[in-house]
Amino acid sequence: MMPSLEIITPKNLNDALNLLSSKEKDIHIIAGGTDVVPGLNQESNRFKDIRLLIDINRIAEVKGIKTDKEKISIGAAETFSDVLQNETIEKKFPLLWKAVSTIGSVQIRNRATIAGNFVNNAPCADTVPVLLVYNATIEIESQSSKREIGLNDFLSAPYKTKLNADEIVTRINIPIPSNEFAGDFYKLGRRRAVAISRITLALLMKSNDRIIDEIRIASGAVTPIGTRFFDLEKFAKGKKADDEFMKELSGKLGEQIIQVTGLRWSSEYKLPVVQQMFYQLLKGIER
Amino acid sequence: MIEIKFILNKKHVSAKIESNIRLIDLLRDKFNLTGTKEGCGVGECGACTVLMNGRAVNSCLVLAAQADESDIVTIEGISNGDVLNPLQKNFLSHGAVQCGFCTPGMVLSASALLDQNPNPSEEEIKESIAGNLCRCTGYKQIIDAVKETAKELNQK
Ligand code: FES
Ligand code: FES
Repeated sequence: MMPSLEIITPKNLNDALNLLSSKEKDIHIIAGGTDVVPGLNQESNRFKDIRLLIDINRIAEVKGIKTDKEKISIGAAETFSDVLQNETIEKKFPLLWKAVSTIGSVQIRNRATIAGNFVNNAPCADTVPVLLVYNATIEIESQSSKREIGLNDFLSAPYKTKLNADEIVTRINIPIPSNEFAGDFYKLGRRRAVAISRITLALLMKSNDRIIDEIRIASGAVTPIGTRFFDLEKFAKGKKADDEFMKELSGKLGEQIIQVTGLRWSSEYKLPVVQQMFYQLLKGIER
Repeated sequence: MIEIKFILNKKHVSAKIESNIRLIDLLRDKFNLTGTKEGCGVGECGACTVLMNGRAVNSCLVLAAQADESDIVTIEGISNGDVLNPLQKNFLSHGAVQCGFCTPGMVLSASALLDQNPNPSEEEIKESIAGNLCRCTGYKQIIDAVKETAKELNQK
């Protein structure tokens, strides 16, 4: 049975921010509810102190997908289905499109939102590695301030972010990458639909005559939080992407993952999978 | 207590509810629409699927309060009086209903698909019901029933 609580559905951002700044602690934002509702219903510890839910679905500032020449701006409360239906995303951000299409089921994608996927910073959030390689930034507002930070800085530790109690994530902005970038997204889960991811990898690369000009690598689920591998990216820059180097880079990625995870019991089986999959991703886009 | 107003199976309705009940509780307990089933309660089985503004959603994952001003269709609203919806008819004739627990959700997922895409491929049919579990049929009969319905709709 659910704890007793109140729900308020503000019509504009200001009302929501007012509520957040007046009280604290026991308020939780709800959009799709795919995480919050079953959590409440099962009396999960994560939600047991919540007394007030703020439903942000009717707030125009957190809705809509806007595109200009340089970037796309996705409202925090846009659902995954909205994202899949957007042509610019399908064309310019194929990795994001692919990652979103593997999430949950039609029913989940019709409710779950793009920001909801990372505001809890659960390691298994599928869009995170992809948003990381696209250098996504997020807009955050409170009653008294407005800021924009990189997603990479926003995600601080498992289930922790830099979001303050009086703030709302309003939009996700992603610069449109030049056409020279090629990339791919890989996900290993247990059941095809609805599965919680075990391993996710995202790769974006720009090369010239097989010489790597820029490469961006991120993982999710296999690392405690979605992680960019900046050292590895620097190491790879300027190198020739031949078979030998791809193998070397895949090996190094495995080593780095062991470093950040401090080896988890399941790494033994995951590690070769990660290395092999990363190698396949590299090969796939070099073709 | 809050009051919500919404459209339920094409009728304007209102209800006084607690803020902490889910859409599935509202449908089953207040409106006696028990065709909507609760399997897992966490978004994995799809037995609780209803249409919300034309889209298939898990009613176990939606708060009743969030249904305010929306348009909800349950399995009870999909037939035309005593005349079965073509999906319902074909589910029956293809043996796609065995224990029947998954059926309301399956039919609504398939109906949302056909509304958007009247000529789906087998892959698209599978994708549309990937969030609906069936322990009985092995899915083949269900997929065939959806295919047949699409075919019939396109002949008209
Ligand atoms: S009861 Fe809602 S998805 Fe299983
Ligand atoms: S007919 Fe029994 S679960 Fe599908």
